[in-house]
Parts: sequence; C-alpha cells; structure tokens
Amino acid sequence: MRCHPLFFKLMRSKPAPKRPWHERHFNLLLLLPALLIIAFLTIYPLVNVVRLSFYEYNYLRGTPKFVGVENYVRLFRDRFFLDGLRNTFYFSIAATVAEVGLGLFLAILFHRRFRGRRLLLPLLIFPMMLSTMVVCSIWRSMYHFDYGILNHLLESLTPAVNWVLGLFGRSPLEPIRIRWLFDPDLALWSVVLVDIWQWTPMAFLILLAGLQSIPRELYEAAKVDGASGPALFRRITLPLLRNHLFLALLLRSIDTFKIFDKVYALTGGGPGSATETISFYIYREGFKYFNMGRASAASVVMFLAVTGVSALYIRQVLGRTSAQ
Amino acid sequence: MLSKLARRLGFCVLLLLVMTFVLFPIYWMITTSLKVPLDYATRDPAWFPTRLTGEHYLSLWRGRAYRYLGNTVLVAMSATALSLSVGLMAAYALARFRFPAKLDVLFLLWVLLVRMAPPVVMAIPLYTTLRTLGLLNTHLGLMVVYQIYVLPYAIWMLLGFVREVPIEVEEAAAIDGASKWKTLRAVVLPLVGPGLVATAIFSVIMTWNEFIYALLFLRTPDRFTLPIHIANFITEYEILWGELMAIGIMSSLPILFLSGYVQRHLLKGFAMQLK
Repeated sequence: MRCHPLFFKLMRSKPAPKRPWHERHFNLLLLLPALLIIAFLTIYPLVNVVRLSFYEYNYLRGTPKFVGVENYVRLFRDRFFLDGLRNTFYFSIAATVAEVGLGLFLAILFHRRFRGRRLLLPLLIFPMMLSTMVVCSIWRSMYHFDYGILNHLLESLTPAVNWVLGLFGRSPLEPIRIRWLFDPDLALWSVVLVDIWQWTPMAFLILLAGLQSIPRELYEAAKVDGASGPALFRRITLPLLRNHLFLALLLRSIDTFKIFDKVYALTGGGPGSATETISFYIYREGFKYFNMGRASAASVVMFLAVTGVSALYIRQVLGRTSAQ
Repeated sequence: MLSKLARRLGFCVLLLLVMTFVLFPIYWMITTSLKVPLDYATRDPAWFPTRLTGEHYLSLWRGRAYRYLGNTVLVAMSATALSLSVGLMAAYALARFRFPAKLDVLFLLWVLLVRMAPPVVMAIPLYTTLRTLGLLNTHLGLMVVYQIYVLPYAIWMLLGFVREVPIEVEEAAAIDGASKWKTLRAVVLPLVGPGLVATAIFSVIMTWNEFIYALLFLRTPDRFTLPIHIANFITEYEILWGELMAIGIMSSLPILFLSGYVQRHLLKGFAMQLK
C-alpha cells in the first residue's frame, strides 16, 4: 500500500477543520440523492437506448447481435413508422393550433366581467382535471357507431336539416351515421377532437393569465387616441400576449407530440395505420413484438425530434428565470 | 340600444355553445353511470335517464374495484413522499448555494429536458433495468420509475417556494448556533409548508393519472392502478358503459377535490405538468 505524496501534503496543509465535513459539503450532500435518482432513471436508460439501437435484440430469442445502423435503415423503410411519423406531426400541429386558437378565443370571452363568471370558470377547466383514460371512456361511448349519442344526434337532426333543405327546393338527405373511430380518413381527427376537448382549458388558463397581466390603462390610452376594436387587438393584445402565446404553443406541441394513451384506448393505432403514432409504434415494436433494437432506434429518432422543440422552451424558461 | 342588446345576446349564445361542448361529455358520464342498460345500450339512447339506478356502483363494489383504488393511492402517495423529501433538499441546495461551473443551471436544464422527453423513449431500457433488479410488476418499481415525472417537477416547484423564504431567518438561526441540517428542518421546512402541500397535490394528481409506465411495468391484474384497469375495461367490454362510467367517476372524484384545493397554483402546476 502506497499513498500519493500529495495526500500527505494535503493532510498537513489543511487548517484544523472547524466544522464537520457534512457541514462543509452540505449543499452537495443535499443535491446528491436527487442527482443519483435522476442519473439512474435517465442518463443510464438514455445511454442504453442509444446502444441498443445498434443491436438486433429480441429478448425472447436470445442475445443481442451488433448490426450497425441497420435498424435505422429498416426503420425508414417501414411503412408503419413513416405513417406514424406523419400522423404524429398532423396530430400535433392540428391539436396545438386548435387548442391555442380556441383557448385564445375563450380567454378573450372570459376576460370581460359578466355575471356567473366565477361559477363558469372552474367548470370550464373541468376536462383537464380528468384522467385521460376517463376522458377516453366517455368519448369512446359517445363515438360508438350503433349506440353512441353523436350518431344518434346526427340522425335526429336529419329531419330538421331536410326541412330546411326543402325550403330551398333541395332533395332531402339520407340519415347518416359516422364511423368516427373506424373510418381511415376520420379516425385521427376524432382523436384530435378528444385532445382538444381535454386540453384547450390549459391553453385557456395560460392565455387568460396573459390577458390579465396587460394593464387596462393601455387600452384606455389607445381608445383616447381613437383606436378601434381590431386595432386594439392587433396593436396591443397580440404583442403583449406574445410570451404567453409562445408558452401555450410550445407546451401543447410538446405534449401532443407524445400522443400515446388516447391512441391506445380509442383506436389501437387502426384502422390499418390510420392513427399510428411514433409513441405507439415504439410501444408495439418493443412490447408486443419484443423487437428491442428497432424500438430503440425509433426512440432515438423521437428523442432527437423532441429535443429540438424542447431547446426552444428551455431557452425561454431560463431566459425568464435569469431575468427575475 | 338594439345593437347593444344583440351583442349581449350573441355573447350569451357563444357562452352557451362553449359550455355545452365542455360540459356535455361530463353530463353524459354522470348520467350514464346512473342509467339502466336499456337506456344506453340502444340505437336510441335516452338523453335523460328514464330510471335512476345504483346497480353499476354496486357491481363495482362486488367486483372489488377498490383494489385498484388502493393500488393507485399506495403508488401515488409513496412516489409523492419520496419526491418531496428528495426534491426539497435539492431545491434548497439549488436556491441557497453557489455551485461551481454553473452546475445548478446544468441540473435545471437536465430536469427540464427529462420533463419533456416522451416517456415511451425511456420505457425499453427501464424495462430491462427493472427486470434485472426484480422490480418488474411491483409497486415499488413503479414508484421509483415515477420519479422521472415527479422529482424534476417537485424540484422545479419547490425552488420557487424556497426562494420566497427570507434568508434573514436562516441567518438568525445560524447565529443561534443551529447546524445547517437543523436550520433546514426546523426553520425552512415550516415556512415552505404550504408550498409543499401544493406540490404534493400536483404530484399525486400526476401519478394518479399516469398511464404508460403502469401499463408496461405492471402485469398482474391484482396490482393494476385505476387508469390501467379502465383501459382494460374499455378494450375488453365493448359497452358495459354504466360500470365504466362509475369507475371513471370513482377515480376522478379524489382528484377533483384535490385540484379544488390548489386552484390558486393551477397555472404554474399545469404549465410544468407535461405528460
């Protein structure tokens, strides 16, 4: 056993410690448990997923085999993955735009004072308090082809529509029923509608807070200067709401990009690959076919895509923290 | 005068449309759970229940659905307890001390990044890890995995609350000879109490509703949490809607009570809650 000379030097040169070591390194000690947990749950898995993506590994059949980038090559030839990629983007963009747009509309509606506002506000944000699975069970029952209330509503509206059509001399329509979740052209948008119902309240809350942070005097001053409604909105509301709009757009797009649970509970990715999303693809490859290599490669692609969007958000958040 | 009236009318109509869209599905859930099957399993479903019945709630009881409630409570509570204790220490350290080389900023960055990564990306390596540790299909394993969601969140929320504690109070404690640990426990902890409660509630809500990890890491139905049970129910029994909606209400009520309590923090809480 030999000790490094520096060790003795350090021992000698140190002044007699006034405080015990756990006091001196108190801050690091406090941070340590969190660091360990996060490292164990994130760094290690992330490194592992990147490594696995270069192997062919079906753990029902045996040991991993190194295959280089073949998983990635196959991934981009897989129609289901490509459809998943496309659907994820469609879903994310459509849901985000609709939620933030509707949220803005609602925020403007609820920004003014009216009787019953305090009663309606909590009711309005009710949907986002429900668990996604509860939301899915409600909508799945309403979307049901035979017994769903939506198709029933469509059918019972048909006579009224035909009456109106009759007034204009048009021929009447047949009563229609919609295959909400089983029509390949419609299924994805039905899932989008559910997401809109559940999460518009979140965009609404963010934007309402934004509106309330704009001082009313600004509007009054502008009105004195002769500005009218649309000009007020374009020149004052929108610019001052920019940060909140940005936050709402970003949060919703990151959220919707992960879409998994609604697809699982509403359509199972079908019909065909009509509602396949990247998350769902990874789930199926990894946990139904045990094709760990391919699923890992898809995970890496998805992670990179999300990191791009996240970088924007992080910059925004850090910018605000340091500005305070 | 007339145009003002017309505008008010327009406003009311808009409001009515919005509230109908928002509230109808909830109305439908509540009434369906109280309807007899004849009222909903038909091509001509009843808008109002023709007869109220408690049979669906009774059959929940008979099917021992409270097992899932118990599992959910257990996992949510233990995950929250762990994340709060570890998170408070980390938040305090990050708020009060200077770290070398911007370690604190790096840490926060990492926390945020994790918060935004899709959970499914981590699922495969976590699955293999849990399998090696023998924690697959256990509540303990799930509780640990949930730290991915709740720990960064707890640190982020608590950081804000710790920063509001005036540093003079701590300095006073230090002058009185209290150790740093004692200061944290006896001085800071009581002061961030309300913040801890709010953070705990959000953390419970998050884990209560979590779906994907519970789906992947729990195998035995006896250990399922509520969302997994509901998902199974949806896919297995096509139209047992009365019972399904009753479970939905059972699993939503606790969350609704809790969220009523934290309404003030709602915005901050949900801005970070990225599923």
